[in-house]
Amino acid sequence: MAREPKFPDTKLSHTAAMILQALDAGFVYGFSIMEMTGLPSGTVYPAMRRLERDELIRSNWERQSIADAEQRPPRKYYKLTAAGKSTLEASRKRYPLLERLIPTEEAKTV
Amino acid sequence: MRPATQWNLAHRFVHFGLLRAASLLVSGSQRAEWWREWRGELWHVQQAFAPQCAGSWRSELEVISFCLGAFQDALCVRSAGRQGRPRFADIAGTPIQCLLILLVMLGASYAAALLLPGVRAERSLWPRKVNPNLVLIQQEGATDDSQPTISPMEFGAWEGRKQKYFDGFAFYRITSERVDAQLPSTGSQGRSTWAVAHASPNFFTLLGLPIQFSDLADPSLNTSSTDSGQISEVILSEKVWKRDFGADPHVAGNIMQLGPRMVRIAGIAADGSLSLPGRVDVWELQPDPQFGAEAPGFVVAHLTPFGAAEMWTQCVHITANGPGNSEEGFLGISLEEWKPAPGTLYLFALFLALLALPAITSVSLGECSLNPENTSWTRKLYRWSFLTAKIALLLPIVYFVAFDLAYGCTTFGRERAVYIQLVSTFAMCLFGLCWVLKDQRQRCPVCICSVTHPAQVGQASRTFLDWNGTEMMCMGGHTLLHVPSQPTSWFSSQRWLYLDTSWEFLFASSTRPIP
Repeated sequence: MAREPKFPDTKLSHTAAMILQALDAGFVYGFSIMEMTGLPSGTVYPAMRRLERDELIRSNWERQSIADAEQRPPRKYYKLTAAGKSTLEASRKRYPLLERLIPTEEAKTV
Repeated sequence: MRPATQWNLAHRFVHFGLLRAASLLVSGSQRAEWWREWRGELWHVQQAFAPQCAGSWRSELEVISFCLGAFQDALCVRSAGRQGRPRFADIAGTPIQCLLILLVMLGASYAAALLLPGVRAERSLWPRKVNPNLVLIQQEGATDDSQPTISPMEFGAWEGRKQKYFDGFAFYRITSERVDAQLPSTGSQGRSTWAVAHASPNFFTLLGLPIQFSDLADPSLNTSSTDSGQISEVILSEKVWKRDFGADPHVAGNIMQLGPRMVRIAGIAADGSLSLPGRVDVWELQPDPQFGAEAPGFVVAHLTPFGAAEMWTQCVHITANGPGNSEEGFLGISLEEWKPAPGTLYLFALFLALLALPAITSVSLGECSLNPENTSWTRKLYRWSFLTAKIALLLPIVYFVAFDLAYGCTTFGRERAVYIQLVSTFAMCLFGLCWVLKDQRQRCPVCICSVTHPAQVGQASRTFLDWNGTEMMCMGGHTLLHVPSQPTSWFSSQRWLYLDTSWEFLFASSTRPIP
């Protein structure tokens, strides 16, 4: 049984919605989200902490072997949860320009 | 090494330094993961900006602004960690809260005992050793005990003879003299008239009065200090020390003018150790010839074991030969009196409070109605340990608070302070123990938390038809407590009602763990 989010009816700020949209668009780690959204690090990372606390996104560490093979430190990847996806859908209705700012792969192909 | 490489190393050092500084804001348990993530991200940021141009200030500013953002993130993680911690409100009613409050009270009362000047002065005078078998010798026909009756000649005659009943004599005579002193409490020159007692050099040694000597003064005041120098030494009474010198612990060594001569303060004599006749502000130890031949004074004598065995009552008749071998009658009045030490007084008040306790509250802990199936030995032990801890914390609190009240204000004399300590210790022990028992009775036997939300059930007019009283509940959902407002033959004391699992849905968000 899927765990219910702590705040299912949370209305996201535009910044949080942009981060969710960027994650949905395939930008899955902090610096890539910064580059995509143009938001500073002091905004992106704390916002992702709150989104993770509200169970809208979840994080997992990249395997060390992959990072070692590419001779770089491992990354922490973020991913939308089911609750995050439904919240993002609601946010897209609230912020119609969101998809134009950060188009998803499906939107690009269409 | 190339300059560009050195440049890069220096910049990387700055970046890592910034991140390290930010990581200090994160709690220790989260710091390692936080550092790992930001270090990984920094590597990517450095890689992203490195190819643009090494040594470019613009790219460097980008990396530094990225690192500065780490401080905001660290603060965010830190505040999130704090929200997860248990707050004081979360432990309301728990044994931990109760013991914490008692610990804080104990710390505060002990700190007050360390800081209050009057209490510090009192503590510095412990232990008080008073020589036993002391008598005050007066003329037999004297009507007023406070008036001196023994002449220095008589004193000199007794002191010079071998005595059967006495092995030591001391003499003192009280005069009024003008005093000029630099008072440390006010910083101004004080001028007043004090009662000065001119005493024989062995006076304090004979009486065994506690005196605090300064480093400047010689503790063995058996030899007069006037022999060795121009400035003689005086002992202040505790009352003057507190009143005029603000209980300054560094008063010893100060010079002041006493009458026509300069004297040095050598120490402080505790008031109230012995009830000597005459009010004395300062004691000046002088050699015998300086007493003068005419003015009478008081004589204190120490009984030999033979003399002590002969002294059956507090007052004895003494026949002594005067200077002209004429027999004269004298009275020897014992100076011993009961002056309890603070510890003795405390134990006495505690004993009285324990005697009086059953008169004001029930000493039952309300455990008679406990369900034996639900009360394991560990829970009983936990409950009794908590009760013991409360009492163990309460008793020193009472001791220190009573001591602070009695001796905190320097204007109170020691006589009054003894009564204040006795009364306050008794009152606090009585009501404190009463609270301990009441608090214990109102703690859930399962989780030892206080029961709350009192609700009045029933009506007073229906006391004999249905139960009428107060119902309180354990917020952990373990029990209900029913306290009858009027004890009846069928409901004489409080009862615990254990709640089964069907009640759990009411307490789903507040269920407390069973210790």
